[in-house]
Amino acid sequence: MLLPPLRYLRPETPGDAAALLSEMDGSVVLAGGQTLLNMLKLDLARPAALVDVHRISALRDIRHREDGTLIIGAAVTYSALAGSSETRRTHPAVADMAASLVDRQVRNRGTIGGNCCLNDPANNFPPLLAALDARFRVLGTDGERVLRADEFFVGTLATGLRRGELLVAVEVPAMPPGSVVAHEHLQVGADSWAIARAVVRLDRDGTGGTGEGFVTDARAVLGAVYGSPLRLHSVERSLSSARVSPGLADAATALREVDVRPTEDVHCSTAYRLEMAEVQLRRALRAAVEGSIR
Amino acid sequence: MTIDHTAETREITVTVDGRSETGHVSDRTLLVHWLRDALDKRGPKIGCDTGNCGACTVRWDDTLVKSCMVLAAQADGDEVETAAALEGEDGSLNRLQRCFADYHALQCGYCTSGMLMTATDLLSSGEEITEESVRRGMKGNICRCTGYHNIVKAVRAAAGQEVPAPHGCAAQEVESR
Amino acid sequence: MTTEHIAPGTVTRRFTGQAMPRKEDARLLKAQGEFGDDTPVAHLAYVAFVRSPYAHARIAAIDVSGAEQAPGYLGCLVPDEVETLTDPYLELQGPPGDAEVDRCLASGGIARFAGEPVVAVAAETREAARDAAEAVVVEYEPLPHVVDAREAVQPDAPLVHEPVGTNVAFDSLYDWGDIDFAMDNADHVIEVDELHFHRFSSTPLECGAITVEYDAGVDTFTFTGGFATPQLATLNLSVALRHPFSKLRVLSKDIGGSFGLKLNMHIPATAAALLSRKLGRPMRWTETRTEHHQAGGHGNERWFRDVRMAVQRDGTVLGLTYDALDDVGAYTRYEPLGGVIWTQVANACYQLKHLKVHYRSVYTNKGPVHPNRGYSRMQHLWLVERMMDIAAHKLGFDPVEFRTRNYVQPEQYPYTTVNGCVYDSGDLPLSLRKALDLIDYRGARELQERLSGSGKRIGIGIGSTLDSGTNNLGQARLINGELPFSGNTEGGLVRLGADGTVYATTGGVAFGQGHETTIAQVVADMLGVAYDEVQVQRGSDSALSAQTGMSGSYASQFAVTGIGAILNATKKLAHEINLVAASALGCTPDDITLVDGHAVVADDPDRALPFSAVAGIVHFSPADLPPEVADEVGLVGRAVYRAPFEIPDTERKYGNLTLTYATQVHACVVEIDEETGHTRLLRYAMVDDCGTPINPMVIEGQVHGATVHGISAALYEHLSYDAEGQLVAGNFYDYHAATAYDLPSFRYDNVVSPSPFAPVGAKGMGEGGGAPLHALSAAFQDAVGDRAMVLDSCNPPERVLRLLRGLDAERVRVIR
Repeated sequence: MLLPPLRYLRPETPGDAAALLSEMDGSVVLAGGQTLLNMLKLDLARPAALVDVHRISALRDIRHREDGTLIIGAAVTYSALAGSSETRRTHPAVADMAASLVDRQVRNRGTIGGNCCLNDPANNFPPLLAALDARFRVLGTDGERVLRADEFFVGTLATGLRRGELLVAVEVPAMPPGSVVAHEHLQVGADSWAIARAVVRLDRDGTGGTGEGFVTDARAVLGAVYGSPLRLHSVERSLSSARVSPGLADAATALREVDVRPTEDVHCSTAYRLEMAEVQLRRALRAAVEGSIR
Repeated sequence: MTIDHTAETREITVTVDGRSETGHVSDRTLLVHWLRDALDKRGPKIGCDTGNCGACTVRWDDTLVKSCMVLAAQADGDEVETAAALEGEDGSLNRLQRCFADYHALQCGYCTSGMLMTATDLLSSGEEITEESVRRGMKGNICRCTGYHNIVKAVRAAAGQEVPAPHGCAAQEVESR
Repeated sequence: MTTEHIAPGTVTRRFTGQAMPRKEDARLLKAQGEFGDDTPVAHLAYVAFVRSPYAHARIAAIDVSGAEQAPGYLGCLVPDEVETLTDPYLELQGPPGDAEVDRCLASGGIARFAGEPVVAVAAETREAARDAAEAVVVEYEPLPHVVDAREAVQPDAPLVHEPVGTNVAFDSLYDWGDIDFAMDNADHVIEVDELHFHRFSSTPLECGAITVEYDAGVDTFTFTGGFATPQLATLNLSVALRHPFSKLRVLSKDIGGSFGLKLNMHIPATAAALLSRKLGRPMRWTETRTEHHQAGGHGNERWFRDVRMAVQRDGTVLGLTYDALDDVGAYTRYEPLGGVIWTQVANACYQLKHLKVHYRSVYTNKGPVHPNRGYSRMQHLWLVERMMDIAAHKLGFDPVEFRTRNYVQPEQYPYTTVNGCVYDSGDLPLSLRKALDLIDYRGARELQERLSGSGKRIGIGIGSTLDSGTNNLGQARLINGELPFSGNTEGGLVRLGADGTVYATTGGVAFGQGHETTIAQVVADMLGVAYDEVQVQRGSDSALSAQTGMSGSYASQFAVTGIGAILNATKKLAHEINLVAASALGCTPDDITLVDGHAVVADDPDRALPFSAVAGIVHFSPADLPPEVADEVGLVGRAVYRAPFEIPDTERKYGNLTLTYATQVHACVVEIDEETGHTRLLRYAMVDDCGTPINPMVIEGQVHGATVHGISAALYEHLSYDAEGQLVAGNFYDYHAATAYDLPSFRYDNVVSPSPFAPVGAKGMGEGGGAPLHALSAAFQDAVGDRAMVLDSCNPPERVLRLLRGLDAERVRVIR
């Protein structure tokens, strides 16, 4: 399938890219293009110009700050992330997610920035990054600013990026010692289109033995269910300060209390999707608790 | 090479299967279309509109990609390798290609070039080759004829593993046919 | 290699029956095949279609002025022009459906499904054609639409074709045996309100691609692309284009899958042809995946209603009755042949005595159906298999014993069905036993028990099916007594070239089934040459004399008709070789045997003539031959294979409709996640019986492929429409075609029951009969027992979860 007419631009630096984005009406960022180009083929988007940032070396770095923060350039591919041994050590959930995504061809091209900026409800990274308290560093012609996940992911295929702004990096804080992240998902077939995802992070005090300690902080986030990753604050509250124990997984409140209508698509009904979100949440909680006790 | 008048065009030079090729492309031209229409490269095929089927898989600067999700302009100055580059210099089938033939891993042949490219990448990746890892590694390529079973066998055989012979063929016969 | 004789003293089987590597493979593996969109053509222009966004709409106005401004625009074609320049295609159906007029662009200025071509645009490049098509403005007046066949048959439903006066294109009552007697007297009667066989397609990876070149000098159109029935396509194009048959040529080279769907390529080809002639340029149309899903042909969707089955206390099934609504979409095209083709397998695998079916083909505002692997038979086979399974569960019979008892038994062949079809051979009980062994049935039952209560539910399913092959086209008379069709033929041509090379050409059309390979195997054996020395023509050419009117790839028949024709042709060539050699060697033709590329005097092997010398004499020195021999030999054997059929009795709808019946029995073990309904295939086995194998490796490959089409359809694939008549599965995201990662490794075995009716005992077998749909439905039923009823052929996780919670239990009743 063919693309509509467009201009292709390849700036050399993030600043040049931001300038192009702000100057040219209808210009959008082309990162890996693994979703964007298909949207263009299917006429779901009609940009006038594609600003290719894939080769900008400043956007392709994976770095660690001294405080342990993982800084992933927006144009870092899933393959690069999956292959980063440092990331695997410090943020295994991020590396695992990158390694399992779509297929090997797409992993070679697709970027974390593209995954976040498209913010398709079914995408893998938004709920994980929300659970990890990631920050999104964006560059505009007026300079940089940093957005929280809830400021960045604002709705189906929508982000908090303003016109002319470019995501330059995703910053993931260091994982506290003893922190556990669990990701559970239901997909079409073995691992195709996502029907529901849940990510749970449990931080706990101490690194002591089995059954010891309390949850110091928790995140519970759903993906693929709503327009954007959905943090379940009530679930998080019920987990926080609780003693880490096998029964903890059952402490989560049911999702029915959440007043948001799930997205609909060809693969299932909204009622099923909602129920599956609960199932995945329960499983992620269980996995996280088990991981914490281990 | 036909020129599209409806958008920006540019000249690109890409080394394709070892030969430097120069062409005029429209900004919107996908790599797969340039390879096929301008260069008569028949390895990359088009089987879908959405990057699912993998029939257009090529190597671009030593990285396996689906050429329907890359602009031709993006490959300017780079190297691209299609399935046409897999055979030996004397035109003989390479080991993987032979295994595809020996284990009947192709029927209509439309997905085959993409399958070969992906399998080549998988086999050279250093990843452990198992039934599971091959199935996972090949999941970005759709085949509608073979049911994948024989493709998995062929890839494993190419990795030196023992796999059952095709029906009606004794194991020792497979490679001597 | 072992050798065996197929006809004592004449032919040694060195290659036939062996897993010979395929002739097709080298070019395909080296990226040197030539598919529809591959061929470079000088001065080529491109066609794009403007398609209706509405399910049903009158076209009020078409404005192409925008397209005319688009750079590279060459011209266009609109419905009015098509009405003027073309005649309707050949029509299979009688009244009232024959009032339907199908054309390459919205017929009568009305679009009848979302995605129907409305305007065809030609331009210099692919991009230019796309842009010009986008610039065409069509003004639509939406009309009421209907997307559900059950609503389409209601009296107040919107009419898809006004002139037909009804949405029922075809209506027929099939009544064999005495169903009332069976229902009145059976110990048990099971009743089911409604079952649904869903809409899906084998979706070949290569979508449609057609190139048309009009040569004004000789007033001839040449079409290149995936035409599955080249002569029928030529006839249709001749009628539609009002162009002499002799001035149309239809070619194909490599075809990237068809599975039946490419039987109707003449329709878009008509538009490309008109543009080619009008604009004086070769034209190419390359279908996109989205277009293919919208308009490239779907499999038949079928509703089975008021289903009743009569069963005796001892487990003997007496008969079955149902009403069928077959949803054919907006145009009948190959339909309503499906309305009779299912009767090839009226009995399914069982000894049914009584069968009554009220069958209606129903128009809806959806994409038209085309024949699709397992065409029309698998729907009925699924229904029968489903009812066997449901009856077993409801009446407490063991599903294995229940099937085994009712199967046509090995000693009953040839077995005549309720409608006069003759099942040629088979051993279903043995096939079932082998399939169960392959999945370790007993172990699977233990696993089922062990996992009970674990959150994982095990289901074990059996699917028994038939692949009826080699159609008696006389069955078309059952839908329209006026149709001049009967029997079936295929052509073959085998010749010796000037240097003694053996060339073979089939009338058949291949899209992955390995025809070049199997032809070379049988020809090599019959002529006593090496497999590698037989040159088999790639693709098809309607202008070559190998084809007959019925030539093509459909109805699982190549192993019978295609190979039969090649064998007959080879016999003729062998006879000519014998004549020449006998003359040169001074013996009688009967003394000659063909061995290792030589014509040899049988009892004096030193007297031999290589084929090159035989060819040399005929091609270059015929004066060496006695005139009576020289006049007879051209070293060309052209022959037809005619399947031995009679015209069926159209009154009783009775007669033999197919020549061979391959069987497949599948067995599977699924693991269901009780919280999500997500299904994983733990074990999957198939046992195939297609008679004497020509190439066991190719057969196994065909079984694998048909298996995955069935599994993927049973779990994922659904060409569903929303209430607005929009297809919601237009690409491989929304229409999930199984990947390698979705599937287990298969366990395969075979049984060999040679067909007494087929030339080499081999049966046609590629379609497979949809066994995975039967087996997976049965596995879900097994998992839920009789607490829910599996009444739909597609069971994605959500539906499976509903089954676990008792879906449709009340829709099945034991009324006695």
